Amino acid sequence: MDAPIAPAPAVVPEAGLARTERPPRPPGIWRQSWYRFRRNRAGMLGLCLVGFVVLVAALCPFIAPFDPNDQSAMLRGAARQGPTLTHLLGTDRNGYDVLSRVLYGASTALMVGIGAMMIASVIGVVIGGIAGYAGGLTDEFLMRFAEFFMVVPVFIVILAVVRLFGIVVVGTWLESVPNLSLMTIIVLLGLFEWAPIARMARAEFMRLKHAEFVEAATCIGSTRREILLRHILPNALPSLVVLVALGIGGAILAETMVSFLGFGDPKAVSWGQLLYFNYEALKVAPWASLAPGAAIFITVLGFNLLADGLTDAFNPRLRQ
Amino acid sequence: MLSTLASASRPVAAAPEAPLVRVEDLRVHFFTRDGVVRAVDGMDYVVNKAETLGIVGESGSGKTVSSLAMLQLVPPPARTVGGRILFRGENLLERTPKAMASVRGKHIAMIFQNPATSLNPIYSIGAQLCEIVRWHEKVSRRQAEERATALLNLVGISDPAARLRQFPHELSGGMKQRVGIARALLCNPALVLADEPTTALDVTIQAQILDLLAELQARLHMSMVLVTHDMGVVARMADRITVMYAGRVCETASARTIFTAPRHPYTRALLESMPRVDHSYSGRARQPLPTIAGRPPNLLHPPAGCRFHDRCPEATAECRRVLPVETEVAPGHTVSCIRHGSQGVAA
Amino acid sequence: MGTFRYIARRLIFSACLILGVSIILFALINAIGNPVEILLAERPGITDEIIQQVTAYYGLDGSVTDRYFTWLWAILRLDFGTSIIYNQPVSEMLLAYGVETLKIQIPGILIALGMAVLVSTLAATRQYSRVDFGVISGAMLGHSLPGFFMGILLILVFSYWLGILPSYGAYSTRSMLMDSTVIDGLWHMVLPVGMLVIFNTATLTLLMRSSLVEVLRQDFITAARASGLPERRVVFGHALRNAFIPVLTYLGILFGLMLATAPVTETVFTWPGLGGLYIMAIQQLDYPVIMGETMVVTVMLVTATLLTDIAYVLIDPRIRLG
Repeated sequence: MDAPIAPAPAVVPEAGLARTERPPRPPGIWRQSWYRFRRNRAGMLGLCLVGFVVLVAALCPFIAPFDPNDQSAMLRGAARQGPTLTHLLGTDRNGYDVLSRVLYGASTALMVGIGAMMIASVIGVVIGGIAGYAGGLTDEFLMRFAEFFMVVPVFIVILAVVRLFGIVVVGTWLESVPNLSLMTIIVLLGLFEWAPIARMARAEFMRLKHAEFVEAATCIGSTRREILLRHILPNALPSLVVLVALGIGGAILAETMVSFLGFGDPKAVSWGQLLYFNYEALKVAPWASLAPGAAIFITVLGFNLLADGLTDAFNPRLRQ
Repeated sequence: MLSTLASASRPVAAAPEAPLVRVEDLRVHFFTRDGVVRAVDGMDYVVNKAETLGIVGESGSGKTVSSLAMLQLVPPPARTVGGRILFRGENLLERTPKAMASVRGKHIAMIFQNPATSLNPIYSIGAQLCEIVRWHEKVSRRQAEERATALLNLVGISDPAARLRQFPHELSGGMKQRVGIARALLCNPALVLADEPTTALDVTIQAQILDLLAELQARLHMSMVLVTHDMGVVARMADRITVMYAGRVCETASARTIFTAPRHPYTRALLESMPRVDHSYSGRARQPLPTIAGRPPNLLHPPAGCRFHDRCPEATAECRRVLPVETEVAPGHTVSCIRHGSQGVAA
Repeated sequence: MGTFRYIARRLIFSACLILGVSIILFALINAIGNPVEILLAERPGITDEIIQQVTAYYGLDGSVTDRYFTWLWAILRLDFGTSIIYNQPVSEMLLAYGVETLKIQIPGILIALGMAVLVSTLAATRQYSRVDFGVISGAMLGHSLPGFFMGILLILVFSYWLGILPSYGAYSTRSMLMDSTVIDGLWHMVLPVGMLVIFNTATLTLLMRSSLVEVLRQDFITAARASGLPERRVVFGHALRNAFIPVLTYLGILFGLMLATAPVTETVFTWPGLGGLYIMAIQQLDYPVIMGETMVVTVMLVTATLLTDIAYVLIDPRIRLG
């Protein structure tokens, strides 16, 4: 609209065949993004993969052919058996049905991913939001704090803490908490992965607090609470959603690696555990390692593609 | 190929018979997922030696794309799909990409709209200028630096030797645009394409840059194509003016004719919608500032017949069926409007 | 100028970070309780008296602050104590195992970097073409394939089915037969390095391609072309260097995390490096090794971050110092 000719039909209404009807109200940012996202093939593929994993996690008690803790194949001498009609993906060296364990693993994986990112998002948005909105010394201090968490070698710290925590709880009431190791891993992942979210939240809050619509809201007397929750946060969400989607995939991968190295929850039915128990037998029973590996791959790929598609949908600038 | 270009150094022939550039029926289309956008759809114009041609049009009328097409630099998904661009008699569109590179910067150069983004942020001014000189001419580093210093001096930058070592972000917007102009003139090109060279600048700087361009154009006897949406700029700078609308030329004439005796309804509407100092737009005796009703057409599905018919106050039923063809209505004055003496072809 | 002050400030901040990590690490270990008690708890016939003697032997009977400063002072002199399990100086062990880790990690990053530059340039200069589509798809798949799963696939294919590459260890008895430890060592490096190269190339390519696509549509690239520079100069001289700036951060993280991600790689290939050492140390509660290695990894990470920041200043003149 840099031309000196602005469409203003009200001034010369008779001129030509001017369209006088007002264009319909443009759709909001979420709907617009959804229109764009729908046309992104990679993003839709990601959404489908994630949807598939969610569906499996929800339906696993109904579709899994065996109980995940059913080791009866061992008694029948059918452990470490290749794929058959009864055991579509074979059995592992403990006599578990690989397919059932992989299906049940989906819900564990999603629990880890979503649980860890919920913790990380809350911490990240609160710290980043305060830093970005308050600015000054508060900002400086909080961001140095976040930077500290960026240089902590997260992965090996988690390994050490899970192991040592396992020793400490022996003999306390905590020992009776079900899936304690898994909870520990989820909490630790959440506690160590908030820094990128805080950085993004800070940048967005800083950008938005000077946006014209926020200044307008201030002018009409909105309270600070209203401004933060109704004007700034919703507009900061798109960038954060992308990070959270990526983070879920990352957290699932991290839990798998922790379990694969033998520091996971021995009682949990997780893909990493399956790999840990069967990796030694890779040569004789490769299916028991390949199936959970492929499941992790599909899930992580799904979340990565989803995050990619969301980035494109929220940034139309980059579109063709 | 090179011999045709070298002919420039021969004594100049009579200007009207041998224009420097003749663009014929140029077509540049964008191949998007939604369909083909005809950004430039049959455009003709000539640039004579040592003159300034102003190309005026709204945003999206295809003026920038048409000048990029001259350098074979239209960005994908756009492609030049038809027409000829005759530069000293040779069709540039037939050149291979490699052969085209030796024309760019040396014979035809470009000045960009936004000086803040058109200089590479991580190289010093000197490095960027010298690289171009040394690519086109086999000169030593010292000689290239001397040339760059001379050019910076020419475009009015003080202490040019020191500026060579500075980075773009250390210069002001106006200063950067002067560097952009210096870059275009490094190899003394025959033609300079200036794409909205002042739009991104402060108003006070705009006048300085325009004066500089006018002075350099006269001094170096070069031809210039000045692409802009600003009638004020062309009024001040151009010898001749081409008015574009929706990828086609409406009217071409000398600057004086365009402003005193415009024929095409779009040209007239453009001129009427310019604010004038002798009119009052406020107070009791106010008159409304005339505007052009409607919106520029969607070039995915351009209107049949004349592109302007649905916004044109003079349009008749015929205008919807007939595509007007540029016709010379007076010496040096071409119009494409069937209501004003143009021929047309049935659409 | 400001550069020196900037670097000095970053150096001080880095030192503070390392100090912070050391305090937290020490506090964490001590919060869990007396390591000697925990270590000896599962063994029969241990009296309180023996525990006290062993505690005193390892110098664990003083106040927490005293012990922290003793430990810190020792670490500053690169003295990480003696491994409880192996009864060797930890610093010597870290060095010996560290060499093995770097032997696969550094080629894994450098080869990947070279390949990523090539592949992403190929893709970005042909945006939306089939080549580009293939590169993005391949990179996305490689990036999402968990490293250890890729390792498993490599072992299955090249060691078990084709039988041409060794699946574990850094050396074998074959070295005697082949009469060259160098060739044997390289032979063993192929699969672990291959796994790292695939993963790093994929991730670097994704980053670099999108960065390059972004830079290639900037005005200054069109301006460079309009000035008559040939395509090769425009892409390699102007676009690539600008596109590299955002990739630098990730490259820094990659070098910094080299040791932190080693446990997975080295477990998959039974590689005798720091990662494997760390896993064993945690399993057997070899405190000096755990603490020493955590500190080394942290220092690596902080150093890599510091070098990245300095590299930014050198490569990008726009960075404002302060």
